[in-house]
Amino acid sequence: MSDTYREVFGEILADHHEAPRNWGKLEGANVVHEHGYNPLCGDKVDLYVSAESDGALKLQYQGEGCSICMASASIMSERVSQLSKEQALSWIEAFRAKMQGQEGASVRILPADESGDDLTALYGVKRFPVRIKCALLPWTTLKKALEGKAV
Amino acid sequence: MIFEPSSDSINIPLVREDFPIFERKIQGRPIVYLDNASTSQRPKKMIDAMVHYYTHSNANVHRGVYQLSQEATDAYESVRGKVARFLSASGGTVSEQEIIFTSGTTGSVNLVCRSFGESFLKEGDVIAVTRMEHHSNFVPWQQLAKRKKARFEIIELTEDLKLDPKEVDRVLALKPKILAMTLMSNVTGVINPIASLASRFKLVGTTIVIDAAQGIAHLDLSIDRLGPIDFLAFSSHKMCGPTGVGVLWGKKNVLEKMPPDQMGGNMISHVGDLDSEWNELPHKFEAGTPNIASVIGLGAAVDYLETLGRRRIEHYEQKLTEYVLKKLEGLPGVRLLGPSSPHHRGAIFSVAIEGVHAHDLATFLDLRGISVRAGHHCAHPLMQKLGLPATCRASFSFYNTPDEADLWVEALRESQTFFARKKRL
Repeated sequence: MSDTYREVFGEILADHHEAPRNWGKLEGANVVHEHGYNPLCGDKVDLYVSAESDGALKLQYQGEGCSICMASASIMSERVSQLSKEQALSWIEAFRAKMQGQEGASVRILPADESGDDLTALYGVKRFPVRIKCALLPWTTLKKALEGKAV
Repeated sequence: MIFEPSSDSINIPLVREDFPIFERKIQGRPIVYLDNASTSQRPKKMIDAMVHYYTHSNANVHRGVYQLSQEATDAYESVRGKVARFLSASGGTVSEQEIIFTSGTTGSVNLVCRSFGESFLKEGDVIAVTRMEHHSNFVPWQQLAKRKKARFEIIELTEDLKLDPKEVDRVLALKPKILAMTLMSNVTGVINPIASLASRFKLVGTTIVIDAAQGIAHLDLSIDRLGPIDFLAFSSHKMCGPTGVGVLWGKKNVLEKMPPDQMGGNMISHVGDLDSEWNELPHKFEAGTPNIASVIGLGAAVDYLETLGRRRIEHYEQKLTEYVLKKLEGLPGVRLLGPSSPHHRGAIFSVAIEGVHAHDLATFLDLRGISVRAGHHCAHPLMQKLGLPATCRASFSFYNTPDEADLWVEALRESQTFFARKKRL
């Protein structure tokens, strides 16, 4: 019975929710902290991001919220850690566009949909339009972090 | 049926057949609609009444001398009489002139706020509300207080989220000019003792505005039983009627001294080049072409509720409330907001479950065809005080069954196991 939820959202989201990756604070002089909050449902995410010497981002987070928001933060933290700041910003824009049902050039930056893929699992949230903002919160918070300060 | 139906009870399976929507399935299951505090479902008779107006008598009201317009006017105005009787105890003390059609509870409260409040409130006066108000009976008064430099006072609640008697005394001593209060909380289901409070506040000259949006379809109420109140606001869509229309009842002598809120057609008796005169009550407050079809629908909804019997509805929902509360008692980890005793509360149950986010819970329930509300229920002042960003609310009506309550409670139980977790790597 209770597998219906798991069937819809899939093992991948459940796994990220139950065992979040890159959880915790980052310390250091070059770490940027950004707080994301949705007052309507209380979802909170605290991102800690810094740039490695080769330009790749390092990202950790803590947060409190619904399973979709937390799974999205966990997936984002894994995906973005391999990117440069500029790549990350274009991914964020593409992810937002994809979640809001837009097609086109910006969306094609993202890897092609593939079953069993973590991002593809997140796209499944589109079936519940009111929950899309839950999935987007970590990404919009990261955008603020990257645009606002010197990462 | 799990509790014994008495001879005076409603035949729920038959009643459900009056509502076409219950033929639908969601996720392959019958609809378990537990969001009645948001809006009710609509019986076919109500829908038919609106269709009949559009297909048989469609014309504007109060204007034409031709037959169609007369039919439309008769249909529209007859609803005023129905609503007046609906709000009267037997004998009929409510006048049709005291029934103003608005866009809904929000429209009704805003009308009182702009017309009465703007005209009669002075700097330093006290406006009082309670901590359990819906935004619609909170924000308009808060903003009026700001505009008028009036004092805005909030009557706080006890632990079980009822009005705190000490707080009532405190605010009473301030002799408020206006007290705006809900009949039934849309978050906790708490029913306030309006009659006794109104009597006390009347002694210090307070004008009393009651938001009856939640109580109207569930309680066997009449204006007389609510004591010396001045205004009552409610919406059609929470009482089996259509959206977009509501009622403001006001005491005739108070309405008469109030200026019109909106200017335009119908609300005038004479228009000169430099000044105009106003139409009589209730038309003074109904500018422009009204929501004719919806008012006619509201009339059919009133007929429907009266045919079922409002005392029977209240009695059945009281039984259902007792049943649900007993079920929730045996559910560890589930926090019910507000009183767990069935007295002076309606069938509204907001819950917070340790470790389960309200939105996850609502989606979890939705996947079983159970419709509930998750969020702040348009009651930020209460939710902030409780430190809860969101809860999950199930609200029942007379067409809901104990079986549906079982499905909801069982799903709450399973959600706890399902969302239990969480190993951080």
